[in-house]
Amino acid sequence: MRHPVIALSVLALLSGTAAAHHGWGSYDASKPVTVTGPILTSKYENPHATITVRGSDKVWTVTLAPTFRMTNRGALAEMIAVGKTISAYGYPSTVEKDEMRAERITVGGKTIEMR
Amino acid sequence: MNDAAPAIFVALEASAAGAAIRQSTWIYMAANVGHIVSLVVFAGAVAVMDIRMTGALAATSPGHVLKMARRFAVAAFFGLTITGATLFAAEASHVIMNPIFQLKLALIGLALLNITWFEYFTAPQVRALPPLTPLPVAARRAGFISIGLWIAVAAAGRTIAYL
Repeated sequence: MRHPVIALSVLALLSGTAAAHHGWGSYDASKPVTVTGPILTSKYENPHATITVRGSDKVWTVTLAPTFRMTNRGALAEMIAVGKTISAYGYPSTVEKDEMRAERITVGGKTIEMR
Repeated sequence: MNDAAPAIFVALEASAAGAAIRQSTWIYMAANVGHIVSLVVFAGAVAVMDIRMTGALAATSPGHVLKMARRFAVAAFFGLTITGATLFAAEASHVIMNPIFQLKLALIGLALLNITWFEYFTAPQVRALPPLTPLPVAARRAGFISIGLWIAVAAAGRTIAYL
């Protein structure tokens, strides 16, 4: 009687850890967009770097990756600074207006994966 | 910044400490890793105490099991608090408004109440009991409540990022 409770509890804990990859659920992967234009603002901060980009249609808020990953993969702060041109491929938010999460970005001739 | 949040949380997020956590390459990541590591140690130590109270490991001395496991639980809870506060400070004004985070805080409060009740009223009755002695109903109840609440806390913690 007691043991199934414990087994279930352990299972609940394990499954919680296994699913510990977050943040993409509120983005619509069926409607990918590519936003290309100059960077208007840039926050190279945790938990995710965030920039705003003047795209052809509107100003997008583009959510990037944690800064440690960005640096590790060569997307340095100076490369996504204000005034640089960026192309970001990603998915629009289903929650925040005009926000998208980048799957990959191209800056200074380099394409860098964000996921 | 979420201006709808109480001013103290807006101020915390805007503070030099909040900015340093966000802008450092490693602090946020270290706090994230440290939070999970502390959680693993905490969950292990708490589970040992809880299953002993619910009747498992009956051939051990309940007082000795509680004493040894409690040290790990207390140290790990300290680690959880420090790393959790670090993660919180970086996004305080947003996180405090998150309903799941509020639920998590409430669940932690209940779990701490359960511990306080147990330590003051139940542990003294259990401490000196020899192995293979049935434990008081209060001890079994505290064990079940504890393991249930802490699992709910962990689940709520993981869900903050999705809601």
